Amino acid sequence: MLFRTPFNGYAVKFSPFEEGRIAVATSQNFGIIGNGRQHVLQMGPQGLVEVAAFDTKDGLYDCCWSEENENILVSACGDGSIKVWDVQAPAQANPLRSFQEHQREVYAINWNVTRRNLFLSASWDDSIKLWDINAPQSLATFKEHTYCVYAAVWNPAHADVFVSASGDCSVKVWDLRQQRSTLSIAAHNYEVLCTDWCKYNDCVIATGSVDKSIKIWDVRSPTREVTTLLGHTYAVRRVLFSPHAESIVASCSYDMTVRLWDVAAPEDALLRLWDHHTEFAVGLDFSTLTEGLLASAGWDETVHVWNQNTDPRAA
Amino acid sequence: MASQGVPQRAQDRQKILLEHLRPVEAPAAAMSQSHLEANDCSAGDSSSYERRAASLDDVVVVSALRTPITKAKRGGFKDTPADDMLAAVLKATLQRTGVEPEAIGDIVVGSVLGPSSQRANECRIAAFLAGFPETVPVRTVNRQCSSGLQAVADVAAAIKAGFYTVGLGCGVESMSLNPMAWEGGVNPKIANSKDAQNCLLPMGVTSENVAAKFGIDRATQDKMAARSHARAAAAQASGRVKDELVPVETTWKDPKTGEEKQIVVDRDDGVRPGTTPQQLAQLKTVFKKDGTTTAGNSSQISDGAAAVLLMTRREALRRNLPVLGIFRSFAAVGVDPAIMGVGPAVAIPAAVKQAGLTLDDIDLFELNEAFASQATYCCKKLGLDEEKVNVNGGAIAIGHPLGCTGARCTATLLHEMMKRGSSARFGIVSMCIGSGMGAAAVFERGGETDNLRNVRPVPKQAHLSRDAAV
Repeated sequence: MLFRTPFNGYAVKFSPFEEGRIAVATSQNFGIIGNGRQHVLQMGPQGLVEVAAFDTKDGLYDCCWSEENENILVSACGDGSIKVWDVQAPAQANPLRSFQEHQREVYAINWNVTRRNLFLSASWDDSIKLWDINAPQSLATFKEHTYCVYAAVWNPAHADVFVSASGDCSVKVWDLRQQRSTLSIAAHNYEVLCTDWCKYNDCVIATGSVDKSIKIWDVRSPTREVTTLLGHTYAVRRVLFSPHAESIVASCSYDMTVRLWDVAAPEDALLRLWDHHTEFAVGLDFSTLTEGLLASAGWDETVHVWNQNTDPRAA
Repeated sequence: MASQGVPQRAQDRQKILLEHLRPVEAPAAAMSQSHLEANDCSAGDSSSYERRAASLDDVVVVSALRTPITKAKRGGFKDTPADDMLAAVLKATLQRTGVEPEAIGDIVVGSVLGPSSQRANECRIAAFLAGFPETVPVRTVNRQCSSGLQAVADVAAAIKAGFYTVGLGCGVESMSLNPMAWEGGVNPKIANSKDAQNCLLPMGVTSENVAAKFGIDRATQDKMAARSHARAAAAQASGRVKDELVPVETTWKDPKTGEEKQIVVDRDDGVRPGTTPQQLAQLKTVFKKDGTTTAGNSSQISDGAAAVLLMTRREALRRNLPVLGIFRSFAAVGVDPAIMGVGPAVAIPAAVKQAGLTLDDIDLFELNEAFASQATYCCKKLGLDEEKVNVNGGAIAIGHPLGCTGARCTATLLHEMMKRGSSARFGIVSMCIGSGMGAAAVFERGGETDNLRNVRPVPKQAHLSRDAAV
């Protein structure tokens, strides 16, 4: 299924509560200058239908659904703010909140699935902040990276643990109970743009980099990657573990492709290659509610939702 | 941030995002790992790209062998039945590759002149004589002069379709024992169709038609015929065609004494070294007064057999067999029956297009010389460099055992490509077909793209597995 956004897509996220509900964060002029718009779409028999849209003054780089309330979602904004939206509330009531603390663009945002009031933001001001949706200020700031932080993701099994990926080429693992990061991996020789935890093995992470590769790491033996997946011909923008299978990983890249990999078979890992985007493919998500359903967003101003066994262009 | 202003911010953002697109050397690990990529066309964008992607599902040729081609009624095989010739190449293929006969999924044999049902039976007999068990099926295919190539293409298609993974595409013809003939009457309805009538034209007449229509003169044709003999003789003398030949032991009746002899046929006996255009110019035309087609500038009537063993690359790697070539594409197209010789000029571009290539990418051609007239026309029409066409001589010197020719040319082409190395990456087998058709197939040299390694370095173990006992 296809939806055209007026701006360039940056992120796409399936609602964890409602089947077929999708949030899409977009930015005007490729996010370099101009406005942003947060779309909420619903899959139906007519395809993807917009149920809500919120405009922002600056571009939106990421978005994330609340794990607590099915109507709440947050967006990472280019002006350093984090916007909280209520899909049910009237337009003039939105944004419900705006957290303005980051000094530069907020590039990623991630909600804690266990402690459902908490979420993380990662920013180009080199810091990561911890937020409580009900607190007026951030609860903590994590500042160790020396360049833009591009991603911060909670561990699905440990509510206090998260991983961050940065343009300083490192990946750090953090524990809220400790002041400093608990592990720092010099993961790639070039900027690391994305990371994710395996949903079935709480020690395994995936990283994607400007060096075009995806690496799989085991935090118990961080000296060397477990596997390297090669194939993307430009920087890997997002990498995600499947919520339904331990060894399945999806990725999207500046090479405009979306790929599906099986990390358990590293020498024959590539399962699927989709080239439905005609510009950088930068947004990607697995549906947790419908197995095999994927969504992607790109700078070509399209959002695609498709089953992994079909061609995104077919539907 | 507020102090920076919007233009400054846009510039900074652009800078950070541009860093994401930094050209990066592939990580060192990439060098030691082969990775597969999906390609829309079977041969990649164009040969100018050095392609590293080789698919395990590629259909590859691991063996292509032929008997010597001998003159009908006079040559070494004049008393040898078709089944014996076919059995000889089948046996040699199994022996040289070590493939067990029960692994063959099908034997497809191109054959033209043999009586249809009887020839199918003879081919089955040949398989038994060659040591195949009863479980291996056999069939024949008849697309006139391209039957041998059609057999190879049929096997490649069946492997692609997944019907089996290993198959033999063959060709056999005894023009000594099965001369050209027409049985029964002609359908009177052809009176209404010029094309249908033209199907009945003798091939020589179609050659005269091509020569007349496209202005191919006698001297050009004789020159080409002489060159064919010269090249074939040179290849024979230097032993260049030895690798593709299977010597065959057979009985031969001495025409003078009537005595039966056991002989070993190990060379093409139609080749006449020292043939000059001047000698050929003396010959009388056969089909038309003041015509141009003579016995000297037409293909010879011959006997012979050839066999091409195809399988998936996966299977070839498993068996550790060297890949001689990759079957890339095949096309058969129809043309005006009155000028059937123009077939290759239409079929070659079709096959090249199917492979995702351009004509410039092709380094070698086996373009069957049914007649010097049509072969010259096709080369001219396509603008082919004569140094790339029939470099070891063609049917004018070697002979044209109809059903065998396609498989024979495949063997000649692939062995020559292997000898030429990377200077010959893509090759074509093509021929014209009686009743107005052309066929062509594109092959890629095996060694060129065959970078898939069976052996890869074992990655260093960074940690013990969970199962390991310390």
